[in-house]
Amino acid sequence: MEFERTIAMMLRIGTILSAALLAIGILLLIANNGGGGSSLDQIINLAPQVNSASFSLANIFGGISGFDGISFIFLGFIVLIAIPISRVLLSIFMFLYQKNWLYVVITAIVFINLIVAILLIPSMIAGYG
Amino acid sequence: MIVLLYVIALLITGVASGIIGSLSGLGGGIIVIPILTLLFGVPLEYAAGASLLSVIATSSGAASAYVKDKLVNLKIGMSLEIATTMGAIAGALIAVFLYSKSLQAIIFIVFGLVLLLSIYPVRKSFTLKNDSHTKQDSTTKKFQLSGKYYDKAKKKVIKYSGSRWWLGESVMGIAGIISGLLGVGSGVLKVIGLESAMRLPVKIATPTSDFMIGVTAAVGSAIYWEFGYIQPFILAPIVMGILFGSYFGSKILERTSSLRLREFFLFILIIVGIEMVFRGLGVA
Repeated sequence: MEFERTIAMMLRIGTILSAALLAIGILLLIANNGGGGSSLDQIINLAPQVNSASFSLANIFGGISGFDGISFIFLGFIVLIAIPISRVLLSIFMFLYQKNWLYVVITAIVFINLIVAILLIPSMIAGYG
Repeated sequence: MIVLLYVIALLITGVASGIIGSLSGLGGGIIVIPILTLLFGVPLEYAAGASLLSVIATSSGAASAYVKDKLVNLKIGMSLEIATTMGAIAGALIAVFLYSKSLQAIIFIVFGLVLLLSIYPVRKSFTLKNDSHTKQDSTTKKFQLSGKYYDKAKKKVIKYSGSRWWLGESVMGIAGIISGLLGVGSGVLKVIGLESAMRLPVKIATPTSDFMIGVTAAVGSAIYWEFGYIQPFILAPIVMGILFGSYFGSKILERTSSLRLREFFLFILIIVGIEMVFRGLGVA
């Protein structure tokens, strides 16, 4: 089953990649005593100023080239979230290939729900913010 | 070097959580959130965000082995995910609303109650003799709920059929809401739903649930992320710990007495459940 092996491989690669990015991020944070424009003390604070709302996606890619610890960590999280999403997406293609139209639709609905959560809700909130 | 101590403490928490999660099927959230809130004093919303990402880590780590063995019923899992994802969106939005009004005490209490309430079904599932998984109904054909797998223990191919899709969907909707609201994976509820409501064999229910919790948690994570409840420093060591822990956990799974394990975790459920309720009531 081509697809199932692809999915399993993707899972493996995704988790390893995510773990690696997180590890690098932590090390960088410690080495640089901070990241993303905040010192380590501020980051450690358990009710932090530095969190996912205060750190926009655009910053992340700039941060990678600058060896910024926080950026690596956030990228690691993004990869992690992408894993189940990719799984759903790959499944759509698998059902398409099997010409299982019922499940193409079902899987597409699940995928749309994921997209709604990621894109639509935030922009709806932004409208209120 | 407080930083290093912190990182190590969080790493150990993650590893322990991953091992316990993969051994018991209880999932990372049930362990991670109480530890972070009760032990480390992390505010609940950040613990919940951390937990959701942890669930994805546990799910992806454990599930890759199952997929290869064809033990995940992708169709059943995916069709039920329609309800779970919608529930998770609703649950997450409710949680965000409650947090914004500083009403997290409600969430603590709900969390504790859910833990305590799940004791009975979990206890019952130990002795459940589920032989009815060849029963079919109208939903079995409609939603293609049949399948087969090779049982390594019995050394033969077992055929099975799921049924009562609508009931399964309802249970999953509730599981989704709980997932989004509390920041857990709802693995327990999902396995119960798959085994009891849809009459699936255990060996299919558990891996399928593992697959499902990942998708559900992704939905919750996205929304929590947007509201800033993902804190990088706490999360990174924990997630790393879990990725390792769940990998090793599934390795030693075979050599442990599952009954003993489950008794132990029931015990934990009770203690933690009570603590969470107390915390919500402002006592702890």
